Amino acid sequence: MILRALWLRPTVSRPLRFLATVAGVAIGVAAVVSTLLASRAAVASLGADVEVVAGQAALEVRRPGGVDPAVLGDLRELAGEALIAPVVEDVAHVPALGDLARVLGVDVLVDDGVRAVELDFGERDPQEALDAWLLGRGVALSRGLAAELGAAPGDALEVLVRARPVALDVVAVFAPERFASAWDRVLLVDLSTAQELFARGPRLDRLELRPRTAWDPDAFAARVAERLPDGYRVAPASARRAEGERLVRALEFNLTALSGVSLLVGVVLVATTLATSIVQRRRAIALLRSLGASRAQLARAVLVEAAAIGTLGGLAGVAAGWGGARAALAGVRTTVATVAPEALAGDVRLEPRWLLLGLACGLLASLAAALLPLREALRVPPVQGLRQQLAAGPARREHARRALLLAALAAGAVLFARLPPLEDRPIWALLSSLLVLSTLLVLSAPLIDLVARLHPVHGALGGRIATSVRVAQAAVSAGRRRAAWAAAAVGVAVGLAVAMATMVGSFRTTVVEWTEQAMRSDLFVRPLPTSTGVAAGGIDGEVVAIAGELFGPEALDPFRATTAYVDDRPVALAGAAFGTVSGRGGVPFLDGRPSHEVFAEAARTGGAVVNEPFARRFGVGPGDSFELETAAGRVRRDVVGVYRDYSGHTGRVVLDREDYLGLFPDDGILSLAVYLPDAADVAAARAQLAAALAGRFAVEVLSNREIRGEVLAVFERTFAVTVALQLLAAAVAGLAVITVLGALVRERRGELAVLRTLGGSAGQVLGVVLGQALLLGAAGALGGLLVGLVMGYVLVVVVNLQSFGWTLQFVPPWGSLAATVGLVVPACLLAGLVPAMAALRQTPLEELRELG
Amino acid sequence: MSWADALRTALVVSAALAGPAAAQDGGWRRVGRDLALTFPADHGAHPAHRTEWWYVTGQVEDAAGRPFGFQFTIFRRGLGDAPPAADDAPRRPRHVFAGHLAVADVRAGRTVHAERLRRSGSPLASAARDDLDLVLEDWTFARGPDDVLAISARDPARGIGLELELRPQKPLALHGDGGYSAKGGEEGNASAYASWTRLATTGRLWSEGRAHDVRGAAWFDHEFGSSVLGDDAVGWDWFGLQLDDGRELMLFELRDADGRPTKAAGSLVQRDGTVRALARDDFTVEATGRWRSPHTGADYPAGWVLTLPEEGLRLEVTPRLADAELVTGSTDTAYWEGPVELSGTVRGRGYAELTGYAGAMTRRF
Repeated sequence: MILRALWLRPTVSRPLRFLATVAGVAIGVAAVVSTLLASRAAVASLGADVEVVAGQAALEVRRPGGVDPAVLGDLRELAGEALIAPVVEDVAHVPALGDLARVLGVDVLVDDGVRAVELDFGERDPQEALDAWLLGRGVALSRGLAAELGAAPGDALEVLVRARPVALDVVAVFAPERFASAWDRVLLVDLSTAQELFARGPRLDRLELRPRTAWDPDAFAARVAERLPDGYRVAPASARRAEGERLVRALEFNLTALSGVSLLVGVVLVATTLATSIVQRRRAIALLRSLGASRAQLARAVLVEAAAIGTLGGLAGVAAGWGGARAALAGVRTTVATVAPEALAGDVRLEPRWLLLGLACGLLASLAAALLPLREALRVPPVQGLRQQLAAGPARREHARRALLLAALAAGAVLFARLPPLEDRPIWALLSSLLVLSTLLVLSAPLIDLVARLHPVHGALGGRIATSVRVAQAAVSAGRRRAAWAAAAVGVAVGLAVAMATMVGSFRTTVVEWTEQAMRSDLFVRPLPTSTGVAAGGIDGEVVAIAGELFGPEALDPFRATTAYVDDRPVALAGAAFGTVSGRGGVPFLDGRPSHEVFAEAARTGGAVVNEPFARRFGVGPGDSFELETAAGRVRRDVVGVYRDYSGHTGRVVLDREDYLGLFPDDGILSLAVYLPDAADVAAARAQLAAALAGRFAVEVLSNREIRGEVLAVFERTFAVTVALQLLAAAVAGLAVITVLGALVRERRGELAVLRTLGGSAGQVLGVVLGQALLLGAAGALGGLLVGLVMGYVLVVVVNLQSFGWTLQFVPPWGSLAATVGLVVPACLLAGLVPAMAALRQTPLEELRELG
Repeated sequence: MSWADALRTALVVSAALAGPAAAQDGGWRRVGRDLALTFPADHGAHPAHRTEWWYVTGQVEDAAGRPFGFQFTIFRRGLGDAPPAADDAPRRPRHVFAGHLAVADVRAGRTVHAERLRRSGSPLASAARDDLDLVLEDWTFARGPDDVLAISARDPARGIGLELELRPQKPLALHGDGGYSAKGGEEGNASAYASWTRLATTGRLWSEGRAHDVRGAAWFDHEFGSSVLGDDAVGWDWFGLQLDDGRELMLFELRDADGRPTKAAGSLVQRDGTVRALARDDFTVEATGRWRSPHTGADYPAGWVLTLPEEGLRLEVTPRLADAELVTGSTDTAYWEGPVELSGTVRGRGYAELTGYAGAMTRRF
């Protein structure tokens, strides 16, 4: 009965408001689910690929720079207990696919013991196909990939290996038993084919060990380890996955935390709706209380409404999130590529757990949002609720309580902002920014008081308008509690938008300056990007020779990178031409030293420059040294400079090219920067280089402006979500104003009736209601702006540093902030039209008669 | 079939029978009548020839008199149409090595076997060219001083293994014409074939995971060639028999798809080690029983009567256990390889090998 009276009847009579609230929750849930789904899909392959690649292998033997095949001899005696499978692995670009694929080079004679797949040679003679696989450029494809490519045994498949076109010979297709979708981006070739394609020489990437008998993995690993030369490591296959996942999960957490912000907006919206509906139903609640309804019954009614909103919003959010994830995949994929370039994108898959997650998010958000309104409902006494609430100023005691609460929140925020991250996740810092945001709940009532007392309108406005505004001020002040709700809702929405805009704006300004400083090469050569925008897979070293003939070797900075270990943790190790960079490059260093000076010193002393994330992770700075595990053994290098790096958050060490090549074999380059003389015709040089490479290499030659534009484009794509958040903030603010103002109008309909009866025009009534909307919007926008800036500061200075290891400048994007406020206040005014029109439809005499 | 099954089938069948591949062996060197074997170099690998194997069978008993049979083989097969040239890609696998290890527990009537497979070009598989020195993963087979052969091959997963020392009791026997063993109608259809027909054997044998100190006698074969057989052969029966009078008898009979013999030959090694080459007309082989494999359904002969009229020999050959079938890689590559007992004119022991009964396996390729 109570449920019907309190909830069903109003919901049926005002379905739009209910649906709007559900939509608010759905948007929040959709943002979270789509971010998670897209990032999971972007790295789906990371986890599954490791499984596929590892097959049934239990242990892996690796070494920085690759495994010397002589190690097979060292492990020979253990071959009776474990099948030893050598692997060479890299990526190639498959133009027909528009995507990268993993080239998995295995010993096809023994590998079915590790990765059992059933081969189908189609029309090919099996013996001939096997010869082609072992002795030619044969490749086996999963059925899924073959279908996608329209390829069958006997067909040729063109791929780009190190940016060089290579025709592979499809020898067989197979139906993978497990992880079918991960196999759909795998080219299965013989070990020697992979070694030839990637110019590895005899080196192997790893040895996989699969038990032939029941074994104790730890004991066996120890026996393997004691036979291995220095520099080798043996670890469970799962360890590699864990390391890859650690990086990606941290990134995923950060992306999700950002999307989670929109869920907060949903929470505010639900709270507002519930609070409003309770306020609107005070009379009904009071009546029900008088008729003997218990508090538990009331609470049940409120919670049922919240649960219904949460459930519907959660379900709709999952559906919308799934669609959103598909749309966002490319963007997220590029972002993920910065931490795990070898991860291959999979499909966006909607699993039951995502449905549960979405439901849980929706329900939790709704129920959390119901707590304060519930308190409000339970406080309605049986009789008082039947009376009109009288205008009442805040008591002195309340002021003191608010001040105390505010101080506590501020102190908490400061404390949490100073705590270190938890497992690379800025949990405390995020909590700190939440505390900052929650100050709005405390601040909104004083803000309402503030706007209610302002008298700047006297001279500036005409008498009638001034009267309307004064009445509006009085009305807002009188409905202080409800008005505070609306202002808080508007404030939270604005605050979140402002915080996000501040973070992204700061980030963008920093990155733009950084690209201008750091990216000074005139031409930039990189592998042809896939249709998902990833330019990976490296470039054949011959490109350097060709460019060298055209521009002279001193103009070139070929970039190489591999994985090395510091303190047993993998880091990216790069080789660059310090001589070239010291003359031309402008890499910004943390301590402000000029780039040429640092690189000249590094070249002279054989030192290293490291990026900021590395310096933070290992606690080193200029003058410190660290030990690096390389293919040539352990070496110690001094840190000469720490440079700002916004291209990723993995630690990176850069050595001079010569030094690098002394420590690691030359596996080709990832990209090539060309520095031309000042007077050079860049366009002509670019055309010349492009012509020299045309037909033989699938590379892109970009101008300086283009490459900088690319970096920013990736950046914009990644943070496109914030634009949506700004719009969302305006929508939420509008909804809050509609619901709260509707309630206020209903509550004050007596006064409005009196105003009309005393000769007040329709315009004045409109003015009063719209004035209230303006005041609510202004109070909310003001509070939101202030709190949003503080929250933005925490995000920029603390959260980013902890998430990515980046020092960013704090640069609020004032234009964008003005736009947010400029969007929200009119939205509130617009929203005020709905209750204003309702007020106009009232018949003054009937209202007065009814109110007695 | 999985890919390695396909390869194993190709490898083992071709190694054992080299049937259909024969016509395409253009680039691989054939064994000709001008064959001149020199040792110890020719104990080593012959990578210019497509197919080669080193083969040991034997019968031993432990201290308690428990009888076992064993077989240990390493096959080499060249890949592609021709042996690798000097300028070939260095990383390409040009040879594949396969190993078979079988232990027959005569009393239990059970044969357990294990396999190894590996490409050339890594420390996990190698064959010296100048002497018998083979490595296949954890298995090794090498010749030491005084021609003493050492086998080390265990398979913990199957619970079998051999650590044996084999000491020749007679000089190396060269079959056919100085080792030229004709297998088909044309000159090139031949293998180079040498054996130590009687080796005193001591060491340790593992069966069901338990070690037994054993002693007994073994037989060693080394054979290589390209396009060894004619196109029509689908299988063969082979016997390596040690007679109690100090002689040894090797006989083989190739047969076509209809079961008709296409070629048969053999060697009788005298007490002093001299070899009498046996031609088709010098002996007869008559199967006296059958055994149907419960594993593959193949119908094998089981029991024979061999006669060599000129030598006055009539030998009844009886398998010491029925089930000595090796199903390797896939059910399509199966052969029977087991210990036999001799009665008749002379008593003795030996091993028999029967291939091509478990379906027309070579036709798959």
